[in-house]
Amino acid sequence: MTNNHFDVFVIGAGPGGYVAALRAAQMGASTGIVERHHLGGTCLNYGCIPSKALLSSAEMLHGVRHARQWGVTVDGPIGFDWQEITQHKNKILRQLRGGVASLFKARGVAHLAGHGTLDARGRVRVTPSDGPPQTVTADKVILATGSAPIRIPGWPDDPALVCTSDEGVHWTALPRRLLIVGGGVIGCEFACMMQAFGVDVTVVEMMPGLLPTLDHDLGKALLAIFKARGITCFLDTKVEDVDVASGNGAIKTRLSSGESLEFDRVLVATGRRPNTDDVGLADAGIPTDKHGFVPVNDHLETAVPGHYCIGDANGRCMLAHAASAHGVAAVENALGRPKPFESPIPSAVYTFPEVAAVGLSEREAREQGLPIAIGRFPIGHLGKAMAARHPDGFVKMIRHRETGQLLGAHMIGQNATECIAAATALLHQNVSMHDVAETVWAHPTISEAIKESAEDALGAGLHLPPRKVIRVPVPA
Amino acid sequence: MQSIILPQPADGVNAATVVRWLKRPGEHFSAGEALVELEIEDALVRLEASQSGTLATILAEARETVRVGAELARAEGMSVPAPQSEPETTMTRQPSETSGPPTTGDPGNVTPVLMPQAGNTMEEGIVVSWKVAEGDRIEVGQILCEIETDKATIEYESPDAGRLARIVAREGETIPIKQPIAFLADNDADVDAYLAAQGTTAAPATVPRAASTAGAVAAGAETRPSAGSPPVTAEGRVRASPAARKVAQQRGIDLASLGAGSGPGGRILATDVEKAKVAAAVSVDGKPIRRPMRKMRRAIGLNLQRSKQTVPHFYVRMTIDATPLFAYYRENKPRTNCTLNDCVVLAVGRAMAECPEVRSQIDGDEIVEFPHANIGIAVGVDDGLVVPVVRNVDSLTLAQLAVEAKRVVENARNGKLENIGLGNFTITNLGMFGIEEFSAIINPPESGILAVSALRETVIVEDGAIRPGRVMTMTLSADHRIVDGLVAARFLGRLKEILENPGETLT
Repeated sequence: MTNNHFDVFVIGAGPGGYVAALRAAQMGASTGIVERHHLGGTCLNYGCIPSKALLSSAEMLHGVRHARQWGVTVDGPIGFDWQEITQHKNKILRQLRGGVASLFKARGVAHLAGHGTLDARGRVRVTPSDGPPQTVTADKVILATGSAPIRIPGWPDDPALVCTSDEGVHWTALPRRLLIVGGGVIGCEFACMMQAFGVDVTVVEMMPGLLPTLDHDLGKALLAIFKARGITCFLDTKVEDVDVASGNGAIKTRLSSGESLEFDRVLVATGRRPNTDDVGLADAGIPTDKHGFVPVNDHLETAVPGHYCIGDANGRCMLAHAASAHGVAAVENALGRPKPFESPIPSAVYTFPEVAAVGLSEREAREQGLPIAIGRFPIGHLGKAMAARHPDGFVKMIRHRETGQLLGAHMIGQNATECIAAATALLHQNVSMHDVAETVWAHPTISEAIKESAEDALGAGLHLPPRKVIRVPVPA
Repeated sequence: MQSIILPQPADGVNAATVVRWLKRPGEHFSAGEALVELEIEDALVRLEASQSGTLATILAEARETVRVGAELARAEGMSVPAPQSEPETTMTRQPSETSGPPTTGDPGNVTPVLMPQAGNTMEEGIVVSWKVAEGDRIEVGQILCEIETDKATIEYESPDAGRLARIVAREGETIPIKQPIAFLADNDADVDAYLAAQGTTAAPATVPRAASTAGAVAAGAETRPSAGSPPVTAEGRVRASPAARKVAQQRGIDLASLGAGSGPGGRILATDVEKAKVAAAVSVDGKPIRRPMRKMRRAIGLNLQRSKQTVPHFYVRMTIDATPLFAYYRENKPRTNCTLNDCVVLAVGRAMAECPEVRSQIDGDEIVEFPHANIGIAVGVDDGLVVPVVRNVDSLTLAQLAVEAKRVVENARNGKLENIGLGNFTITNLGMFGIEEFSAIINPPESGILAVSALRETVIVEDGAIRPGRVMTMTLSADHRIVDGLVAARFLGRLKEILENPGETLT
């Protein structure tokens, strides 16, 4: 190693870290990055990408099974080849990891393999799995160490039986009966996907609705769809006990609602915790909060100047695209282009139909005491949705009654994760609901529902019955 | 007069936002007619009159959110009994915000007529047309002019009676709320004195005597630069996104000055405001930027230019040992929440009590000696400065002064100047910026102004020995017509004595 000092050094090459490193190199900084595992982090290896590879097969299978609805007949048995599906997934992952490596090469980012820990401010010790440790120094350090799925203490730890999404996206064989603990984004995506592959799925969620972090109407709509597909959902319910000792491979569980149910496999999807234990934060004097997240200011800088923390590890928003956006912002701040990070970040849930949201939910707006008006539009009213036989879902838009400002957009329906991009772009520009309604949307599309719902929020919908008018005599 | 109250339109609804009024003040309505449309989260609410009447006053304009049970408007001629203890004032009849108690001395009785705030969100209004002319006798409640707000055009009823001496807001001119649009006074000269004393008010504008004619509107209307003007709605509101408004407000940028924006139809977007800020800092092609003086700057300029050119200034400077003053300030801060400047103001008040020349104003060939020290405190505000006056400083304790000074300064920052014209001396303090010494221009007709600089640590030589200590330099600018060098020296000497022994005098 000829050079062991960098302008910018990044710990962790997930979607936050690798993008940060590329941006730093693009801005002319000498840049190094350390990754202890595969390039691409959780997103590429255990999250977004492998799950989407599996989902594409699941959705296709769902479509073929329901092909008759489209007037399409399929002769012979309908099945799937799990091995082929996982091979495709693994091939995509290899391809994308190779892509990150070649981007590093093209931009001159020094990629070190090993475990990176801070051993002082501006100094990182890199310990490879098969060699002597080395130390590098840097003017600016970016922590992008990501997060890991939470495992429930006291539960059996055999990952063949009680797993997390880390194992779930790489199952070599599917269970017959699956318990999913947690009805959040990951739980719902797995439930939807596994049901399509013929697995008997049960979801247990402690909160009163699915997708509890999103607008409650989304979880309600998804629940109805899940129930219609035969996914069993227990809400307001806890899994009290998990017992693998019976010997015949069956996992016995007891729920707080009193049910005792048997499964072949349990997937724990109750959340993620930051990877901040073994990064040497204490040695650099960087504090963490009680959950282990590294607090940062609006410039993504930690309490220690020149040390930034992005993505899952700072706890602001545990999504890959948030990490990437943080990465760019942190680098720009580090390299003298100070600008606070305040962009709205969309959420995307890859069930089918998809769920997506950006901005304030109804509950959040209420908690802030904002005077809001809500617009809704059922996707089933759209010509495109009817013609393409994807009538499920709705769009819900939230507007500030006094300023007219667009506050949030929430959507469930086919292609919702793509449609939300339009709402995100508008929200990023801080526009009014009039701007959304005035924008011309292509017809026939699913995204038209955003315009329709904006019009409804203004009390000016054309494809809905007139908004409810309450007539009140005064003086009352 | 009956109140129109927002009833609860549906279960769980505790507020609604006004969308539009279907009746205007003065308009008659019959039973069953809708008066106003409001919105709640998922529905429109239409309030319908249960009996006929006339709409008198609207209290909640469009886009205002009103809680259930709050008053939306007042009506007349409905047979329902009025609620008890109904206040007499109405929206357009603003309580008079005259500055300080009217005095019969000098300067005479001048009552400013201020741009009213019709609704919480109103920041400025446009004087559409004057209904009265200079020299007219005005009754309370008489319609003075029509004012266009961002929401509506209202008729402005005079809150006070008197002779309309001067109109300072031309037709078509935009004036921030609580700023004078005209003055009531028996003598025009009093208005001149008032404006001069205030130093910051609008310079009088020449208004065609025959007001409220179309010709007058055209003649008086301010013309905006025509090239690239921003789009304006029918109500005269610049079209801009909420974000652009927010950024502009934060940065103190006038949206109307930006020209057409990059949004649809020239609508100004947040990015346009950001760009404008950069443009304001550095001109793109290296050329200087030329922009008209704002009113406050023009008024400051005129007043101070006149003072510097006509008042025979002379300057006396003294550096005091401020170690005891600092100790005194530290000791009293917890009890009184005073500032260091309050301590200085108090000391000046005490010194003025012993020095009648300094408690004086000049008025032509006469010198007006005041019984008390009325001290103006210079306060920097956005793009200018204002000088509210604390009266009778010589008779206040430190605790009283701290409260009073804080109050007048805060009011001044909010546009309400107190005791204008009653000051006989001013204190300006740049100490918080580390200024070591400076001299100031007298605020006429006062006798002088004291420029107070930073309290700084230094070596003090005393009786041939040196010790570390704190010093502060003060420069008195005095009007030689009132104060001679000897008086100035005595005054500063006494002030030094008080400040160096604060425990004895400043109780």
